[in-house]
Amino acid sequence: MNVHWNQYEWTRTALCLSESWELKGLNMSNLTRRALLKSGVAGVAATTLATPLIAQARSVKIGSYGGYFENSFKEYVYPEFTKATGIAVESITQPNSSDWLVTLRQAVAAGNIPADISLFARDTMIKATRIGDLIAPLDLTKIKGAGNLDSYFVFEGKDGPQGVGAMSWFSAMVFNPNEVETPASWADFWDSSRFEASLGLGRNYNAGLLDFTAATFFDGAETMMSDDGIVAIIEKVAELKPNVALWWTAESQMEQSMKNGDVVAGQYYLDVANLMALDGFPIKPTFPKEGNLQDYGSWCLTAGSDKADEAAEFMNFSSEPSIQALMSRKIGTAPLVDKSMTDLTDDEFNFVSGTPAIKPAYEAYLDNETFIKESWDKMLAEA
Amino acid sequence: MTVANDISLPDRVQSANKTSTFPAKSVLLGFLTSAIVVFCVFPFLLVLAISFGRKVDGAAWVWDFTLENYQRFFVGVLWPQEVTFLYLQQLYYSFYFAVIASLLAVVTALPFTLALTRLSRRAQAIWLVFILSSLSLSEVFIVMGWDILLSNNSGLPKLFKETGLTAWLKEVGWFQTLRDWGLANPRNVKFKTSDFATILTMSYLVWPYAVILLYPALSRLDPSLGEAARTMGASRWTVTRTVTLPSIRLPLMGTTLLLFVFLLGTYVSITVFAAPNKHTTAVAIYANIRGANLNAPFGATQAIILLISASVCLYLGHLLNRRAEGR
Repeated sequence: MNVHWNQYEWTRTALCLSESWELKGLNMSNLTRRALLKSGVAGVAATTLATPLIAQARSVKIGSYGGYFENSFKEYVYPEFTKATGIAVESITQPNSSDWLVTLRQAVAAGNIPADISLFARDTMIKATRIGDLIAPLDLTKIKGAGNLDSYFVFEGKDGPQGVGAMSWFSAMVFNPNEVETPASWADFWDSSRFEASLGLGRNYNAGLLDFTAATFFDGAETMMSDDGIVAIIEKVAELKPNVALWWTAESQMEQSMKNGDVVAGQYYLDVANLMALDGFPIKPTFPKEGNLQDYGSWCLTAGSDKADEAAEFMNFSSEPSIQALMSRKIGTAPLVDKSMTDLTDDEFNFVSGTPAIKPAYEAYLDNETFIKESWDKMLAEA
Repeated sequence: MTVANDISLPDRVQSANKTSTFPAKSVLLGFLTSAIVVFCVFPFLLVLAISFGRKVDGAAWVWDFTLENYQRFFVGVLWPQEVTFLYLQQLYYSFYFAVIASLLAVVTALPFTLALTRLSRRAQAIWLVFILSSLSLSEVFIVMGWDILLSNNSGLPKLFKETGLTAWLKEVGWFQTLRDWGLANPRNVKFKTSDFATILTMSYLVWPYAVILLYPALSRLDPSLGEAARTMGASRWTVTRTVTLPSIRLPLMGTTLLLFVFLLGTYVSITVFAAPNKHTTAVAIYANIRGANLNAPFGATQAIILLISASVCLYLGHLLNRRAEGR
């Protein structure tokens, strides 16, 4: 039985590999690729705990992004939760944030609850609250732990609090230390004498380059709030084009290009870059003076779920500093609580986090998405 | 199982007889018709219906009846303040890559297949099995392979560097020209992203299909026709031009059209090897439907327009054929 389970896991991982070429976006869909990378570092992916067969009195279905990420939750986080509260967890595989929103929407319309708790990136969570009747408001008096988090990570929707921060991740500046000096600022990327046809940057309009550019040459998210501001930022990005060798959509493209020397600098995920560096590949992440992009995921309660109490207990549990630290160590995510509250060492903390942090201009991306996307695509297509 | 046991044997025999007396042909026909309706017509109508939907910024999309998506395809979302032909340009590149890659595949597969038909039966069988088995490789694997073959540290650029070709190019000054064309960075030559890599991979992708589609027609070709022409003094080229090619004109056209339509939807090769200013409609459709912005209606619109354009091409091909036949 155990053998079968492992085979199943391996098949799924293999499928993820081929799929990861096609997945794309700001969300963590690309985790599948990182999953392989990390499992390579950690040796063979450890055995996954199957859902307990014996029905327990209390249980809750929790969604997370499939692959290494979900497996780590099943192995390290859910057992701790069950031990602490007696509530059994049934893990649900989400492909990523935005596709899961489509699935959830169809399921809820058909009267099903595929998961009691879903994991959503902030932009998808806001979309879900705007679509309506998908995410239920939370009773924060039952989630005392949420007080540990910065108030920014507890999302207030139109019906009250609708999401409690789970973990965060950075999209960082990376470079090949054998080929170039450490860039001090994102502005260095515009210097063709250093980076002609050498950069790997995100192809999608919401992958972060707009935010980096806004933080470096303009007033950050503020500038993104007007059409004129967006046009100005996109014109600035257009000047960067001769220096870009790769506009990547799938994470694996950037990983391969850094390994192969096709690009010598660019943007990539902080934790994966650190893992690759540990593995001896010529890549180093750095925090330039403007900072790196920080995005985060939230736990959200599905509307109509009768497991509100269990869900509240889980959100409370995951907000505890010790569990935030556990996730940083085992999954590579940045904690949402202050470092001083955790027992993370400086090395452990710097592996997953850093300062300054640039927050994505979520409001602009949401309210003005069609305009931004078309302007961005026009710039890339020279149309 | 219990149900089956409850039925007495004569009854079952009788019911079996009934179905056999029922006109089997119309049952099959009905089944096929319903299969086509369920698996082809219905999804197509669904896509058509979605293409009239409306996107809500910051949320998903809703059912509606608006022609805005079609308008956006031709003039952009800001029309009439601003006009962009972004989506027409994407459609143009869909055709650009598909036409060149399918032609290249057919032109290179033709002499190969011709040579193949002149081998012994046994050699032909081995080649055909080999080519058929290469069809089991998915686009993703093929693109991964070429990605590595064209990579800086493990592929063609490495070969350029190690053999001194890069240094030589720099010496004679052609390296600067390559840099101007986007085929080099200050350190070495680079083939990603380029039209060269895109077309190469796309042709490679459909090349086995070209051989397999051309093989039946070429193997039926009567060699005595060419031989007769040769004995009358025609050169090799004249034989090819006036005897061989005209007799396989139809399969040649058919193969090219089929590969062309197949390549219109190429996704992975384009995303990996084509520069973003040459991305195609297929890539844009995917970005709208599966990407973060959940704009299925506009994605559906692009899909419908791509389909219509492909149909027009096929029809024109058909007309061309008929005219050539009539001559």
